[in-house]
Order: sequence, then C-alpha cells, then structure tokens
Amino acid sequence: MSEVDLVDFAVDYAQRKGAAYAEARYEQHASEAFVLKNGVVDVLEYGDDAGIGVRVLAGGSLGFSCTNTLTRAEVRAVVDDAVRTAKATKRKDPIKFVPEPAVVSNWSVPEARKLQDVPAEDKIEEFQHIDRELMDMKYKMPARMFISTNLRIVKYFGNSEGSRIRSYSPRVRMHYYLTLMKGNDAEQCYRNYGWSGGWEAMREWNTLENVLEEARTCQNGLEHGVKSPEGRMDLVVGPPVAGIMAHESCGHPTEADRVLGREASQAGKSFITPQSLGQRVGSDVVTVVDDPTVEHAIAYYLYDDEGVRARRRYLYKAGIINEFLQNRETAAATKSRSNGASRATNYDREAIVRMANTFVEPGDWTPEEMISEVKRGVYMKTYMEWNIDDKRFNGKYVGREAYLIEDGEVQGPVRKTIVELTTPMVWGSVDACGNDLDIMEAGFCGKSDPGQALDACLGGPTMRLRNVYLR
Amino acid sequence: MEEHAERIVKEAVKQGAKDAVAEITVDRSYQVRFARNQPVIVNQWRRSVGSVFLAVGKHLVAGEITNFDRIPETIANLLKAAKATPENPDYAGLAKGPFKYARPSVDRKVLAIDDGSDYVEAAVNGAVEEGAKECAGSFWRYNEDHYLETSNGASGRDQRAGLYLSIRALVSLESSGHGVACATKLSEFDPDRAGHKAGRIAALAKNPKGGTPGKYDIVFDPLILGSLIDQVGGRASAYTVMAGLSPFLKKLGKTVAAPSVTIADDATTDSLGRCRFDAEGVPIRRKAIVQNGVLKTYLHNTSTAKKFKTRSTGNAGIIAPEPFVLSLKPGDWTRDELFNEVKDGLWLTNTWYTRYQSYVTGDFSTIPRDGIFRIKKGEVVEAWKDVRLTDNLINVWKSVKGISKKPEQVTWWGEVGVPTFAPYALASKIGITKSAM
Repeated sequence: MSEVDLVDFAVDYAQRKGAAYAEARYEQHASEAFVLKNGVVDVLEYGDDAGIGVRVLAGGSLGFSCTNTLTRAEVRAVVDDAVRTAKATKRKDPIKFVPEPAVVSNWSVPEARKLQDVPAEDKIEEFQHIDRELMDMKYKMPARMFISTNLRIVKYFGNSEGSRIRSYSPRVRMHYYLTLMKGNDAEQCYRNYGWSGGWEAMREWNTLENVLEEARTCQNGLEHGVKSPEGRMDLVVGPPVAGIMAHESCGHPTEADRVLGREASQAGKSFITPQSLGQRVGSDVVTVVDDPTVEHAIAYYLYDDEGVRARRRYLYKAGIINEFLQNRETAAATKSRSNGASRATNYDREAIVRMANTFVEPGDWTPEEMISEVKRGVYMKTYMEWNIDDKRFNGKYVGREAYLIEDGEVQGPVRKTIVELTTPMVWGSVDACGNDLDIMEAGFCGKSDPGQALDACLGGPTMRLRNVYLR
Repeated sequence: MEEHAERIVKEAVKQGAKDAVAEITVDRSYQVRFARNQPVIVNQWRRSVGSVFLAVGKHLVAGEITNFDRIPETIANLLKAAKATPENPDYAGLAKGPFKYARPSVDRKVLAIDDGSDYVEAAVNGAVEEGAKECAGSFWRYNEDHYLETSNGASGRDQRAGLYLSIRALVSLESSGHGVACATKLSEFDPDRAGHKAGRIAALAKNPKGGTPGKYDIVFDPLILGSLIDQVGGRASAYTVMAGLSPFLKKLGKTVAAPSVTIADDATTDSLGRCRFDAEGVPIRRKAIVQNGVLKTYLHNTSTAKKFKTRSTGNAGIIAPEPFVLSLKPGDWTRDELFNEVKDGLWLTNTWYTRYQSYVTGDFSTIPRDGIFRIKKGEVVEAWKDVRLTDNLINVWKSVKGISKKPEQVTWWGEVGVPTFAPYALASKIGITKSAM
C-alpha cells in the first residue's frame, strides 16, 4: 500500500474501532549531515526515516502510536494500540478539540538550488573553504566545528474530518563553534542559521563573510576587550539577542499548553495565566509575533500537524499580552480557536503546541540612530550563554560581541556583558526597534517528553532598552 | 533482526567496505504523560531501525536502513557517498573482536506492563498526600532490543528494559518539587516514594521569597547533583575535548575536583542505562573519569584512543564517545550531617538550562527549579525563588566538602540525560545571582 492508502486506512479503521476523532501522519525525513571539525570531516551521515503516527481521541482521552513498518497489518496494530490505550485511560474531564474545517491541500517550499542536486562533496568543499580562510587569518584558533544538516520532509496528513494535506519542506541548517585563544584567555562563539529552501541558503546567509567576521570580532575581544561596565545604563541589542529574547521571554510563556500546565513537569509552566490576556508586559513599541508563513524562515509551514491553516500570531501586541499559541486541544480548554501552532518533530511524536518563526516586529529606526541617542551604554550584538527559568520570568543573556557606547558613539569591545533581567523588565525597557529585521538566526527549540528538538527561527531587529542594570 | 545486522555487514564487505557496523534497534516502549493529576496521552512505539557505519579506507559514511528488503541498494548508495567524502585521518578502525558478553536479562514482569495508570495514580496520590495541588510528569516502560554486528568480529544482542517515573508536584506556580523513580525490576519500582518526595518539597517550598545574590554553601539534592555529574561525563568525551567544548583539555592527571570526588562511568551497573557493548562492540567496563579529584581519563572509542595514545574505554559512539551510566562515589556523611554542616547556605533540589559562556574555561550558569531553601544552622528556615547558580564547573567540583553515603539513581529530561547514581553533596562558596528588577 502507498503511504496515502495507509493514512486513509488508518483514519478509517480508527473510526471503525470507536475513535471519535482520528488522524494519521506519514512523514519521510531524508537527511544529509556532516561535521567539519578542525578541518576534518568526521563522517558523512545519511538518514532515511519514514513512518506513520496515529493519534486518536476515544472515550475522552488521547492515544498515540507509531510504526516505521509500512504495511497494512502494522498500521492496523498501531491503530489498535492507540484506540485501546485511549479507551483504557481514566480521565475526570474528557479532552475536547475545537472544530476545524476539512482541508485538502498540497504545499511545498521552493528550492532555488535543489538540495539533492548539489553533491555532498560540493557542500563539504564550501565548508572546507571557509575553514581554510579561517586558518589563513593566522589567529590562534585551536577548535573549529561546523555542523551542516539538510533535511527534506515529505508529509501526508489525514484526519477523520476529511482533511488530506500533502507537503514537501526542504530545510538547511548550519551551526558552528569557534574557539580563539590568546595565552590562557579564550573567546568562544556559537552561531546557528536556518533556511527553508535549497542550498541557496549558503549564499543568503553570506556564510563565508559572516564566519570570518565572527572570528575577527572574537580576536578583537581577546586583544582589546575590557570588562563590561556595571550599573544602570542603556543597552542596544543586535538581532540575534532580540531573537532569543523573543523566543524565551515571549514565545515560550505564551504557549497555551504551558499556560494550562500540560508541560509542567518538563518544559515548565508560565508566569502568564489564562487571565493575563490584555495585561501589559512591555512598552508600547514592543510587538512580538510568531509567524510560520514567513517565506524561507526555517520553521515555514502552511498547515500545522492538526491540519489547521497557519497564520501570524500577535503574542505581545504594543506591549500587551495579546494571544496564546494554540492547538485544537488547548483552544477547546481556553474557549478559543486554534491558530495552527501544533507541530511534531517526526511521525513518532505527538504534535503539541510549538513556536515557529518568532520575532520582534521591526520599527523604523536604524541601529545608528538608536546608538546616537545613548549617552552611556553597551551595544551587545551577539550572545553566548543564556538561560531562563521554567516560568519564563528570569532570563539571562551574556554578551559575546559587545561594545561600549559613549556619547552616541560605539567605542571598543567589552567582554561578557551580563543581562540578567525579568521578562517585564526586558520588554518594559524597550523604547526603539530597528528596521533591520533578521530571520536567519535559528534554534533547536526543546519541549515535550520524549524531547522534541524542533526547528525555530529566532528573529528580530536591533532593539534599544533604556536604563537597565548590566554587569 | 540478528540476521538483518549480519546481512548488512556481509553485504557491505562484499561491496568493498573495509569496516562495517550494523546495529538494529527494536523499540517497543510505552509511555503515559500526565498533567493536572490525570493522564493526557498514552504513547507507544513500534520501530525497528538499522544504523549502519561504513569505512572505505578512511572515507566514512553512516546511514539508516529501515527497509530491510533493500539492503544491497542502500549499501551501494552509502558506499558511493563514502567514496566522495574526504578521508578522515583521525579514523583508526574498529575494535577487534570477537568479544564475549554477559547474557542479557530483563525482568519479564516489566515487559508485561501494558497499562501504566496505576503507577501514575500512586505517584500523584503520594504527592497530593503531602499537600500538592497539581502534578505532572510521565511514566515509562522502556523495552529495546539491540543487535550489533561488526566486520571486525563483534556480534552481540542486548535487551534493555526498565521503568521510570518522573513527577513534578506543585502547590502553586512558585512552590514545586520533583521526584523520580528508576528501576529495572518491578519489585524495586517505587512511584509512590517519588510522588511523596515531590509533594514534600513542594509543600516545604510554599511562599518563597526572592533570594539574595552571594556565595553560599550549598547542599545539592541527587537530582541537581546528577546534572553536575552529567556535565562531567559529557565534557569528558574525547570528542568534546577535541571540539573545544570541554574544560578538561590538558587536564589529564590534574586536580579537577575535591579529593573526595570519584566519578565513574559504568554501564555494567544494574540501571536504566545498563548495556553490554558499545557501538563498536567493545564490552562495557567500569572506568573512573575522576578519581579522588584527579582527572584520570577521557572517554574513548578506538579512533579517539589512538589520537590520545591510549586504548578505548568502551564508550563508542563510532565518532563521538559518550558516557552510559555515571556515578559519584558515595562518601561517609549522612544527609543530616551534610545539612548540619551548613551554618548559612542553601539546599537546591533540581535545576535546568545549564549553559556555558566558555566551554574551555567551564564558566556556566544553571537555573535551580522546584524547591530552593535557605538553611541556617542545619535547618531549613525559608524557601527562595528566582535565583541562578553562576560559577565554574571545575570550581564547583573542587568546592565539594562532603558526600552522603547513599546514592539514588536519577535521570531527568534534558539535564540528567545519562542514568546517574547521585548521593547528596555539600559544596562551599558557590555563586548565586538573580535578575535585576
């Protein structure tokens, strides 16, 4: 049987077994990856994983089962498992899904340079070239590691309401670590880029020049960096920093399943409650959105893994908590509508509420204009260490590339600027957003149990925070 | 499945591979996730995956085989790809077999479990009895078969099965506790105890106040200590050292912890991580990573061992060696004695989000979660919230003053990825920071 027939069979059979709702998701993930470590390709890795996951709502409970043996008998067994375990589950209050219209669609992401048309040796050579250029800089660089991953995802989704959605989503990812040393002093950087599309990603990322510039700034920090000033002052952050703040301090706390406690044990809860909608969390220049439909951002999609049409979600709007990320289950629980935020990493995981491409909406300032109005402060372009508590209230971002600002001018590099602020302090201090939105920065967003590290875009423009405590 | 592993290796050698490894994993695991005191979904897996590693000279390729009807075609494609990759001069071949392994044994009662609801209920009830209002977590019945075959004579089967329950109990958003239960035998599985522990910590953590930054003596509960042990295990992989992602570079033979600290990797121990062979088929053995405070070895496979002029520790990952089951050697303190030693300090029960500013120096921070308690003269005097542990990995381990006698097996989402035997430990003058308001 083809995957289409197997999905159709699974959905039909689940209903005959008594499921009130059933969905089946076939996914095929073809991947190609390699690590270039200190100039050596460790191993070229190919993944070819395909299977079907079936989720049912039966007796008011959810059951999920999956297989990568694509036969009718195996799919039947998976459906039997899912329906049996759902029916056997005892819940006080039944799980409900909000209604959604049936959708029949077929979408795909265009590739200017198709991933499978670019030989692996050519891809490797591009990174080896970058590595050679790095070595030609003659810096003391004892460790360099580039990780290149291409993924082509074919998906076919069907549910008992009649939705049938096919998609093709190619994704390119590059992340790297550089270690530079001067005597016993070390400067390390980590950058992570993502792209939905083909191998044109390397050009779009301006990869070579960006990597070399990263190395230059590390070396500059080692040679000329001084301790970052301590005290209250202004802070101008670059797009990667605005992006991680948007992800950690807005995207995560507005996930409805987190708000409702479904992820409480692992990914945690949220300082935001269902009653927080309409409350102020930031200044009126702060609008943070999550938008799966941004072309070529790493987490691009048109329909989520429950067959719901994706759209831009205004999570914080002009400083107000405006909207949660919702799937059909959380929408029913909060008397809302799904906004198409349900995603899984592969066929072998349940789909849950996830961010996609989360970013601070740009304003109309140039970075230079923002900096020119700062009497004394820090311009923190990138970061290295970061973390945030499980209620998403206490975040920390430590500068990697950062500079002192005095009298509106960028001065020399400062090292390890520590921004350790509460979420309302971060967003409440923003008085200007730049016109330089960048959506190339990517992350591996962790959530769920078993863990689902999912592609996420961490985007933003340059952003200015007034009078915050730095050290 | 054994025959699939054998067929893959034979086919690879026939088609020109110098080295070949095939490992078939059959996963039949089962999980109940729960939240707000009741199940939210039951997950089941029926997956069979073949992992393949091939070397043509020093050209290396790895792949997956899920369709065992297409082994020759898949091997041909992988070998073609291998020939197009640059040589890896660090590759030094596979361990030479054959090897003898202990016979796999699992508790049949564990394998027979197909309904986890009673265990979830026991844990939730335990927490609620202690005062918890809301509980979330997961129950797992793991069941995996592994079949390994290498072109260098290793051939083995392993069966890995166990039970795991993780519960977070909340009295309120900022008053929570966490407990875990790990066992390979049903008779030793105690979800009720995990629930009570989570609930007890949550109840004790009521009405927390914002903490004060400074240097504190800290009693680490096994769950957070497991995270710090996990950091040592992961950073001790020779691969992370070479990649610049470890503070242990050039530290072999040097002091990296207090004299009382011995951290070992030993997957022969009865635990959720127990296994019989590594990815090259080398039989698992115990090795001290840190012994009496001194870094004794990195974790190696055949290739990294050759690079460091030593021998494999039986920790392959073909490319990146890894720990399997970690432990901190118990000390001679009781838990109460550790607390009594603290005149003015903290008791941390759990953490997450451990991140480094510099891997090579070990400067990091991590965010304590669940119960955070101020201790004065050995007694808990108040609960705290909103603080961060900010220090250096080696400094933390050098600051250990005492370790309790009784370790617990812990593993936890993200932070304690490797099953770990962790007791309580006391460390002095550890950095605590907090957010500016």
